[in-house]
Parts: sequence; C-alpha cells; structure tokens
Amino acid sequence: MEAVLSEVVAVEDLLKFEKKYNSELGKGIVSKSTQFEYSWCLIRSKYSDDIRKGILLLEELLSKGNKEEQRDYVFYLSVANYRLKEYEKALKYVRNLLKTEPKNTQALELEKLIEKAMQKDGLVGMAIIGGMALGVAGLAGLIGLAVAKSK
Amino acid sequence: MANANTGSLLNKHTSNATMATAPYNYSYIFKYIIIGDMGVGKSCLLHQFTEKKFMADCPHTIGVEFGTRIIEVSGQKIKLQIWDTAGQERFRAVTRSYYRGAAGALMVYDITRRSTYNHLSSWLTDARNLTNPNTVIILIGNKADLEAQRDVTYEEAKQFAEENGLLFLEASAKTGENVEDAFLEAAKKIYQNIQDGSLDLNAAESGVQHKPSAPQGGRLTSEPQPQREGCGC
Repeated sequence: MEAVLSEVVAVEDLLKFEKKYNSELGKGIVSKSTQFEYSWCLIRSKYSDDIRKGILLLEELLSKGNKEEQRDYVFYLSVANYRLKEYEKALKYVRNLLKTEPKNTQALELEKLIEKAMQKDGLVGMAIIGGMALGVAGLAGLIGLAVAKSK
Repeated sequence: MANANTGSLLNKHTSNATMATAPYNYSYIFKYIIIGDMGVGKSCLLHQFTEKKFMADCPHTIGVEFGTRIIEVSGQKIKLQIWDTAGQERFRAVTRSYYRGAAGALMVYDITRRSTYNHLSSWLTDARNLTNPNTVIILIGNKADLEAQRDVTYEEAKQFAEENGLLFLEASAKTGENVEDAFLEAAKKIYQNIQDGSLDLNAAESGVQHKPSAPQGGRLTSEPQPQREGCGC
C-alpha cells in the first residue's frame, strides 16, 4: 500500500487524460469515466495543486456515481488527502468506505497507514510543545534566579 | 586479514552474516504486472504468493494493488515488485500505464469461466503493445481446484500459449498449487534473458534493476579506510 500511496503519475499519462477531459469539457459534457480517469492521475501528481484539483473533481463525482463507483471515489479521496497530509479528512473517507465494506483489505491497510502517520505527526507535535514548555520553564527559572539575586 | 565480505558479495548472499551488512539483500529487482478479467483471482494469486494465505471473498480491487517478495533464481536473490491491476473495465484506461517497464506479466483467466479465456487476446494485445519485446508473459489458468466446473481444457490453453510464445501454467490461489511456480517460472525466463544478453539492463524500460550488493571498491568492514580520510571539512 505504501507503494500505491507514494507512486507518482507519469507526465505523459497526466497530459493524455487531461487532454481527454478538456476536450469533453469543451463539448459541454464530461463523462464520469473521463473525469475519474483524470482525477486518478491528478491525485498521483507530485504537485499539491494537481492533487487539490483531483480532490475537487472526485468530490463532484461523489454525488453522481453508483455504489461501486462511489467506493472508488471515496478510496481515492482518502489517498489524495493522505498525500496532502490532511490525515483527518483521509481518515474520514476511508472509514466511510469501511462502514460499507468492513473487510476491504485495501481500505484497512490505508486506514492503518493514516493512523500511523497521524501518530507520528502527533509525536512530533508533542515534542515541539514539550520543547517549548521546557524553554518557558527554563526562562522562568532564569528570571526567578535573576530576581532572587537582585534582592 | 581479508574479510570474506570484501570479495564478490553477489555469490555470498546465502550467508546471513553477509546479508546483515550488504546494502541490499537482493541483486535484482524485477517489475511484474498481473492482468486479466475481473474475478479471475489476480489479487488472490498475489496474496497467496506474498502472504501464503488464501483470501476468501476478496472484494474487487480498487485501481491497483502492490506486493513484493524476494525469491531466488540460480543462487541470485531477486526482489519482485508486483503491480496487481483491477480487472474492471472502468480502471482499464489508467491501469494500462502500469504496464510500462514491466519485466514480467502474469495474464490470468479463470478455468471455470470461458468468457475470461475468450478475452485473453485483448489482454495480450495490450500487454504486447504496452511492454517491451523482452517482457516475459506467463498465462495462468486460475481456480484449477474447481475441476468439476472446468470450462476451458488444459490442452487448448496450452496450445494458445504455444502459438503466442507464452509460458503457461494452471494454478490455484486457493490451494496454493503452482502459485510459486507461476512467479518463479517468469523470473527464471527473465534471468535467462539477462544471462544470454537478450535483455539489455541499461534499456530504460527493461523492468529490471541491478542492485550491486556492494559498490565497487566500497568496504563493508570496519577496517580503517586511509584513502578516504582527509575530507576538507
């Protein structure tokens, strides 16, 4: 699953599906499949702006798809948010999928990786707060010492 | 003083002591893809191969899945990086991009469903068009444990494989029968192509990466390295 999450789309593929999407857009009607293919490429881009665009397109599809298609959209919405480090959103989407398919191995693995990333982020966050607290305590101590000396 | 590790590490992969110090515990990476109609058991074959377990009622794959395992061919450790593609039509346009640079392709059908066999020519066309001429394709007739429901004979599939220059095996992801061999046979053929020079490792899309275990002249021991010292920092 890590490989699936970190894999980057080839530029030629992104361009190919972008062209297809734009040509349908020009005609006024974009098919679900074209929009999905393009978003699937966008969310595998190395650029955050592409991923964000992919998320918008997938969110737009969500209301249109049948159950099975919705599963794909929700899964890739989770993947996309994971790639943006929007772990809360990623978790929300994958848990949505797990509500209907509690045994889906791809979703279960993804959930585990999101939780791991959140934990890691949490630890780093705590370390920063912890470091700041130590700093503040140290400073207070120094001030205390200075005040005591000056008396 | 000569430490065993300073010699050719390629030949010493079987020793644990060496593996602990080598930068890679394999000498090659082969990229594989698994293709075929939905429901033929592609993901189950992969799961059986990587986890040695049968996954009952596995849902349709979303997009692509990935798995790895290290195998051994002629004493060389090879890491297989396997992309398992979703069989459903709506993924097909995008999953085609995963064919690029595959060294091996497992093309799977279900021996109990004739339609999955009839679609092979379309899968084969994709595989031929999107991979390089050296890509090794192995045809796998899965669900061989369901003999009573067989809908495709061994002989006809064998003949199809021969006519198209494919390796061929019937396998069962459920019982595990021939699953190892499916992945191994393809690897043997790829390795043979490397050995006889027909597969150019430097070609961009060979699907094979060589991982020299120790950089030439690099040392893996704790001996002093006089030539390296004196960096100007």
